[in-house]
Amino acid sequence: MQLTINNQVYEVAADPDDMLLWVIRDTLGLTGTKYGCGAGICGSCTIHLDGAALRSCITPASAAEGKAITTIEGLAMLSDDGEEVLHPVQQAFIETQTPQCSWCMSGQMMTAAAFLENNPQPTDAEIEAAMNNNICRCGCYARIRAAVARAAEIAQEGAA
Amino acid sequence: MTDSAQNANKTARKGVSRRRFLLILGGGVGALAVGAVAAGPTLVREGRLAMNTLFLTGDAPGTAPPKAPFVWFQIDADNTAHLYIPKIEMGQGIHTALAQVAADELDIAWETVRVHQGDAERGFDPALIFTFGSTSVTALYQPIREVAAALREMLRSEAAAQLNVAAERLVPVGSAFMVREEGGDNLLEPPITYGQIVAAKQGEWKTPETTPRLKTGAEFRYIGKSIERVDLRDKVTGRAIYGFDARVEGMKYGAVARPPRYGATLKRAGTGTAGSMPGVIAVVIRDGFAGVVAETRAKAHAALAALDLEWEGGTNISQAEIEALVSIPAQGGTLIQRVGDVEANGGGTRVEATYRVPMASHAQLEPQAALAEVDGDSVTITTSTQSPEITRDSVAAALGVDAAKVRVVPAYIGGAFGRKTGVDVGAEAAILAKGAGVPVHVGWTREEDMMYGYKRPPAVNSLWASLDAEGGVTAVHHELASADILLNPDIGAPILGRILGTDPLAAGGSLILYAFPNRRVVYHHTPIPVPTAYWRGLGSFPNTFAIETFMDELAAAAETDPLDFRLRYKPEGALGDRFERVLNAVAEASGWRGAAPEGRARGLAAVYDRGTVCALVVEASAENRQIRVHRAWCAVDPGLVINPDGAANQVQGSIIMGLSSTLKERFTVENGMAAAQNFNAYPLLTLAEAPTIEVIAINSSDEPVGGLGEPVGGLVPAAVSSAVFALTGERLREMPFTLA
Repeated sequence: MQLTINNQVYEVAADPDDMLLWVIRDTLGLTGTKYGCGAGICGSCTIHLDGAALRSCITPASAAEGKAITTIEGLAMLSDDGEEVLHPVQQAFIETQTPQCSWCMSGQMMTAAAFLENNPQPTDAEIEAAMNNNICRCGCYARIRAAVARAAEIAQEGAA
Repeated sequence: MTDSAQNANKTARKGVSRRRFLLILGGGVGALAVGAVAAGPTLVREGRLAMNTLFLTGDAPGTAPPKAPFVWFQIDADNTAHLYIPKIEMGQGIHTALAQVAADELDIAWETVRVHQGDAERGFDPALIFTFGSTSVTALYQPIREVAAALREMLRSEAAAQLNVAAERLVPVGSAFMVREEGGDNLLEPPITYGQIVAAKQGEWKTPETTPRLKTGAEFRYIGKSIERVDLRDKVTGRAIYGFDARVEGMKYGAVARPPRYGATLKRAGTGTAGSMPGVIAVVIRDGFAGVVAETRAKAHAALAALDLEWEGGTNISQAEIEALVSIPAQGGTLIQRVGDVEANGGGTRVEATYRVPMASHAQLEPQAALAEVDGDSVTITTSTQSPEITRDSVAAALGVDAAKVRVVPAYIGGAFGRKTGVDVGAEAAILAKGAGVPVHVGWTREEDMMYGYKRPPAVNSLWASLDAEGGVTAVHHELASADILLNPDIGAPILGRILGTDPLAAGGSLILYAFPNRRVVYHHTPIPVPTAYWRGLGSFPNTFAIETFMDELAAAAETDPLDFRLRYKPEGALGDRFERVLNAVAEASGWRGAAPEGRARGLAAVYDRGTVCALVVEASAENRQIRVHRAWCAVDPGLVINPDGAANQVQGSIIMGLSSTLKERFTVENGMAAAQNFNAYPLLTLAEAPTIEVIAINSSDEPVGGLGEPVGGLVPAAVSSAVFALTGERLREMPFTLA
């Protein structure tokens, strides 16, 4: 099957019911997307499918055919002179020193990025609701709240 | 932990004069690489003699030649400074903190620093790399500074020779020296960089005979600063490689058959139809082990069901039976603390209470994972492990090869909390890789990790105290029973338990440090047939919960404010001063003396653990009988704080993980097997349930004396119990807490 990930087209030999997470990680070697529970509960495997946050561990690869997949590796942009420019969410997660082990953070950041795309100026309560279904075992929750709020600010500054 | 890991930490602490430098030079490659080794053997394996010598003199004995460094620097001609750090990064920020220490004394410009994981490639002793027990900073702070200072002086004297000026006139300015003008204070352009010094060096480097003067606190450039974590750029871009991410050309995926009951073993194993299942490359069956190697993880796991297996033995224990096993018997036990005479002074008003802590899963989000490459009798394991040493030894034992032939590459760890001590997945990957003749990656599923990972040992603590007519405490008796940590035969040394009569790790934090005149602690060893071992904080978690909640109960019985009660009975001497400082700091920050907001109440707890003193206040509500913690304040005194923001992050994480245990987590067993398999049946605290947390870091020393990863956790259930009591008058003594 053909998958488009981070604007690159991959020809993949995968069974239609192979889960997208494992095709991305094991078949294609994009290991930034993490496995946590395999049941769509923890959110570590969150990616974007046509811009919407999605749990890749319970999504068959075939469901992503013909759609645009974005993983954490595709969240940053390259500037005209080839420099990596981090997404506002990535900038904010560093600025607030949010990640500890960071295994859950790809999923946290992909969730936050999709959320802010639809809601660029969220309230604290909206951030809390949007981020409440991603587990962080290191206990970075207080900082995740701050990081997502800060990411919204950075995006606004960039847009201004 | 292992004895060798403790000894490696201890040996590393010795002064530089008893060390030797390993020099890998030099002029030809335009780089200066320096490792430093201890003068004694880093690995002490001479049994009782060594242990006694260490115990009696604090000296590591032996005459084996030094060979393993404990820190490694490399300065390249382009002025980049590579630091190889012998502790593993699992989110605690240790690579950053130790790099701060090194960069400070070496006087390097922070932007030139590149931090790398030290591993066996550079000769690091895997025992030293064991990252455990909140010990990394206290073990390595002094030796890293001494070696960095020595290296700086080598560079200075070489620069002096190259520039033909007196070394005293060279002033470090950040990866470079500038020459001070003769008879004045001005610094002369241009600076000479460390890279230039290294590139122009001819001949041998000379190492200093004595330890150079180390910086004082006022001179620190990086120590004490909230420097950004060195690993976050790679982590937020998805580039960081963890054990579950390890890859190599041609690798396949392995899965291992697991027993239906704890303790069950394979009576008979046949390949069944697994070999003809789609994508299967090999079925590996050997003594007590059956596994499959396949093209994908899913195919490997699917094929397990087609194996022909018969299990025998094991346990069918129930949760009720476990709780009956972990209980305090009417008599017996091992006396582990005796101050004064509890019996003779225990005749006053009696206050007593019993506390329970259930089993818990680590639930670290990256399950166990390892990649094994086997080439003849040489093995390379890339894995998320806290202990490359245990991984190495378990792989060597599993394959029957020399441990020296097993190379362990420690990857980033996606959460550990004690779960990744190297006992299982590395050996599984190695057995499958050898059997299949291809590199094999084994990554446990969440279900496997939750069902088969060892658990936090369940514990029960009973305390009673005697109060006189004025509410003064005359005696305190503490009795505890715990399932095993170090005495788990898969983990440590059961023989130690027979000598000591305790599991020393489960007993951690059980002594009563408050200055009651008569104190006694008795330990009961109560193993269960469910694997239990290290879990963040070890015994400190249940024991702090019990002791500190009991302190709250005593304060209530004495009709005294919990803060005043603790100040009244603070430990003697300097420790008591540290208690007083953190208690007052947290009381001030939280407004303890003032009223809590409507519908809320505050609770307090304090502890000394692993060299660190800390105190916690939480503010909780119980609307609709749902306990909710809104705010938390924690004052921590680990001596000297290396990175205040990193320290705050550790404390915040400890509080949230502790709160998850306090309000949610209870791992149970039915018919000899885990009742929960995934997070749907084992919920963790979520973001919306997390309090805001303020951390007050206190420097009480000019050096770090304690760790920060673990001491705070056990305060959380105690402070929450205290707050709920203040709010409702109901006393919660069994975790996880619920109001009926």
